Amino acid sequence: MTDPFLLIAYILLFPGFLFLFAYSMTFEFLDRRIVARMQNRVGPPFFQPFADLVKTLGKEVIDPRGVDRPIFDAAPVVALAAVMTSFLYVPIIGPSPLAFQGDLVLVLYLLTLPTLALMLLGWLSRNIYAAVGGIRAVTMLFIYEVPFFLALMMPTLMAGTWSISDIMAWQEEHLCLAILQPIAFIVALIGLQAKLERTPFDIPEAETEIVAGPWTELTGRRLALMHLANETSAVVGSALIAAVFLGGLAFPWTVESAILSATVGFLLFLAKTVAILLVLSIIRAATARVRLDQLNTIGWKYLTMAALAQVGIVLVMMASGVGI
Amino acid sequence: MTRIVVPIGPQHPALKEPVNFRVVTDGERIVDLELNLSYSHRGIEKAAEQRDFIRVLPLIERVCGICSHSHATVFSKGIEEIMGVEIPPRAQYIRTIIAELERMHSHMLWLGVAAHEVGFNTLFMWTWRDREAVLDTLEELSGNRVHYNMNEIGGVRLDLSPSQVEAALARMPVLEERIRAYVGMVEDEETMLTRFRGVGSLSREEALSFGAVGPTARASGVDYDVRKDDPYLVYDEIPWNVVTDTNGDVYGRTKVRIGEIAESLGIVRHCLENLPGGPIRAEAPKAAPPGEILSRYEAPRGEVAHFIRTNGTARVERVDIRTPTLANWTSVAHCLIGRPLADVPVIVAAIDPCLSCTSRITLVKSGGDLGKDAPPPNGPRGWSR
Amino acid sequence: MSVLSEMLRNLFSKPVTTRYPAERVPIPDGFRGRVGCADDRCIGCSKCSLVCPASAITMVDSPRMVEFKGRTLERKKRPSIALYQCIRCGLCERHCPADAIHLRNGQSINGSTLDEVVTCTL
Ligand code: SF4
Ligand code: SF4
Repeated sequence: MTDPFLLIAYILLFPGFLFLFAYSMTFEFLDRRIVARMQNRVGPPFFQPFADLVKTLGKEVIDPRGVDRPIFDAAPVVALAAVMTSFLYVPIIGPSPLAFQGDLVLVLYLLTLPTLALMLLGWLSRNIYAAVGGIRAVTMLFIYEVPFFLALMMPTLMAGTWSISDIMAWQEEHLCLAILQPIAFIVALIGLQAKLERTPFDIPEAETEIVAGPWTELTGRRLALMHLANETSAVVGSALIAAVFLGGLAFPWTVESAILSATVGFLLFLAKTVAILLVLSIIRAATARVRLDQLNTIGWKYLTMAALAQVGIVLVMMASGVGI
Repeated sequence: MTRIVVPIGPQHPALKEPVNFRVVTDGERIVDLELNLSYSHRGIEKAAEQRDFIRVLPLIERVCGICSHSHATVFSKGIEEIMGVEIPPRAQYIRTIIAELERMHSHMLWLGVAAHEVGFNTLFMWTWRDREAVLDTLEELSGNRVHYNMNEIGGVRLDLSPSQVEAALARMPVLEERIRAYVGMVEDEETMLTRFRGVGSLSREEALSFGAVGPTARASGVDYDVRKDDPYLVYDEIPWNVVTDTNGDVYGRTKVRIGEIAESLGIVRHCLENLPGGPIRAEAPKAAPPGEILSRYEAPRGEVAHFIRTNGTARVERVDIRTPTLANWTSVAHCLIGRPLADVPVIVAAIDPCLSCTSRITLVKSGGDLGKDAPPPNGPRGWSR
Repeated sequence: MSVLSEMLRNLFSKPVTTRYPAERVPIPDGFRGRVGCADDRCIGCSKCSLVCPASAITMVDSPRMVEFKGRTLERKKRPSIALYQCIRCGLCERHCPADAIHLRNGQSINGSTLDEVVTCTL
C-alpha cells in the first residue's frame, strides 16, 4: 500500500480516524447497554453517546480561576491525538501499512498519554478533588502499567518480533496466543480495565469520594474531547489485545474474492473486540471499586506476579520447543 | 506529604443530604475531621407545639422520609400512654406490619446506597428494584409509598381488607427469595468484601461508650433492641429474634441489616396471617392530661426517642426528638480517623445517616454557657447534646 | 457467583423498567391522590377544614339541600380545596361524617400558582 492516496484514506477514513470515531461511539453504546441490561435496566438508545458528545461539545467552556489556559486546552487534544495515532498501528484487516519493528512499544506508550493528560488536568484544575484524582491516576498508572506491559510484551518473546502486525501473522501460522499464554491474556484484560479507569479501577474518578476526580473542572469541548479520548482508548485497547492475543482465530476456510475475505476479516475483528468488550463490561458490572492501597496489593502481589510467572512459563516453553 | 483539607459537603455526590466534613488528610490518610451538622433545620419541634393531636401527626411523620412511620408511631405511643388509652389489638398488628415493612424497605435502600458508595452499582440497581415490591405493598395498604399516615391517636386511620392482606402475603415468597440472594451476594462478592471488611471497626466497648444504637451497635455485638428490651406494640407476643454480629465493621452492619430484613419479613408474615379482628381504633380524648413521657421505638436506623410534655390541652407543650443518627455520629467520627479518604463514604453510609432528621442539636460549651458566642467546634468531641 | 449468574440472567431477560408513556404502573385502589368533594353529600360541617394539617381547605358559601342519614337538611357552606397545598394525608376523608370528601387515583396539582385556589368537585 504505497499509493499515498490510499494511505491517506487508510489514515482518515477506514480503518482510520472516521471508523475509529464511529466505532468508539458504538462501543460506548454497547458497553452502557450491556451493563444496563445486566442491571435489569433499559439502557441508552443507540445514538446516545453521539448525542452526548455533540451536546458537551456545544456547551460553554468554563475556566477555573487561575488556570493555565493553553495547557488546559491542549491536554485533552493531546490525549485524543495520541490515542488516534496509536490506532493506525493496530492491524484491523491484515497488517497495518504503517507497521514497523517496535510499533507495539509505540502504541503502548501512546496509550499511556491520556492518563498523563488526565493527571496534568487534575493538577492544573486548582481544585482539591481534581488534584487528588490526578495523583490517584498516576499512582494507579505505576501499579497497573507494569503487569500490563509485561503481559503485552510476552507475545514478542514467543513470536520474536516487536511489531503487532507480525505477531498477528505469527499466530496464524502457530497457535493463538490467548491459548499459549492464558495468564498474560487475562492480565492484559485486567490491565486494560484499569487503564480505562472502569470499575473496579475507577479510583481516580470515584464519584462518591472525590466527585469526578480530574474531570471535575472539565467543561464543554475539553470534557467532550477527553471523553472521546477515553472511548477511543477502549477501542484501541481492545483492538490491540485482539490483535496480539486473538490473532490466530482466523476464518478456517480460505475465502476466494479479496473483497469477501476483507469483509470476513473485518467481521472477525468486530467479533473479537466486542467479545473483549463484553468481558470488560461484565467486570465493570460485577465489581465494586477497590481502594488505592488495595489496588497496590492486587497489582503487585497478584497481577505482576502472575505476569512474571507467565514470563517463566514462556521461557520454559520456548526452551522445550512447545508451541513453536 | 503536606496536609490537605478536603471539604466533603454540604453538596457532594456521596451525600444525599447536606452535612459538611472538613477532612484533613495526610496523603490519602485522614488525620483530623471536623463535622458540621444542621444545614437543614426545619423547626419541626416548634411547629409541632402549634397543632392539635390530629393535625400534628402528618407533621411528625415528616421528620424523616424513610422512617416516617417510626416517628408517627413513637409519638402516638407516647401520647396514648399519657392519656392512658389502650389501642385495640388489630391496630397494634397493623402498626407492626407497617413498621416492619418500613424497616425492610429502609434496609434494602441502605444496602443499595452502601453498594453505590463503593461503586458497585449493579447491586444498587437490584436492591432498589426489589425494594419496589415492599413499596408497592405499602402503597396498597396505606395509599402512599412514603408517608403512610396510618397512625392516629388511639389506633390506625385505615383498616386492611382481606384482599389487601392476601395481596401482601402473595408478595412475600418473592422477597424471601431475593433476601436469600442478597445473603449470597454479600458473602461472595470479593471486591465489595474488601471494601467492607475491617472498615469502620467499632468494638463492643467503643459502641457502648459512644452510645451507638441500632444496627451499628448490634453489629458490634451489643444486644440492644428496643423491641426486645422495652417491648411495645406486639413485639413481645410474636416470634422474632434480635440479629447481632460480632464483626463490628461495615461488613457486620451489612450482615445485621440483611438479617433484619429477613426477620422483618417473618414478622410481617406472622402479623398478616394472625391479624386479629375487632375495631381499629379506641376512642381517645381530645386533650391529654398534663404529663411527661419519654417514648422509645426501634426505628430502622436504631432507637428513636421522643420526649413529650403535655399540659392538659390538645397540643403538646414540648416535643423533643432524638433521632438514631445523632446517637451514631460520634462513632463515625471515631471510625474515620486514620482511615484512607476512600473510606469516608462507606463509613458514613454504614450508619445509614438521616441528616435532615438530625438537624436539631444544641451546642453546649463545656463551661455550661449556652449561647451564640460559643466557638465553632473543632472536632467531633466539641459536639454534645 | 450468584452475582454473575444473576447478571447473565438479566442480560437475556426483559428489563423491569416501566417504559413510561407506553406502559403505566397500575395505581392501587385506595391510593391517596387528588382530593375531591361530592357536592350532593357534603353537609358543610367544616370538619375537614378543621383537621386539614396543611390548611388547604377553606369553607365557601354554597347553600343547598342535601340528604344526610335519611334526613334532608340545608347546608350553608362547602369546602374549597387548594390542591397545591394539599399534602394528600387523607385526614379529611377519615373525619368527614358524610363520606363526601375523598382522595382518588388522579394526579393532584403540585404547581406553583399560589394565587389560584382550585375548587373541586368529585
Ligand atoms: S388530604 Fe390532608 S392535606 Fe389534603 S385536603 Fe385533605 S386533610 Fe388537607
Ligand atoms: S367534612 Fe365532609 S361533610 Fe363536612 S364540610 Fe367537609 S366534606 Fe363536607
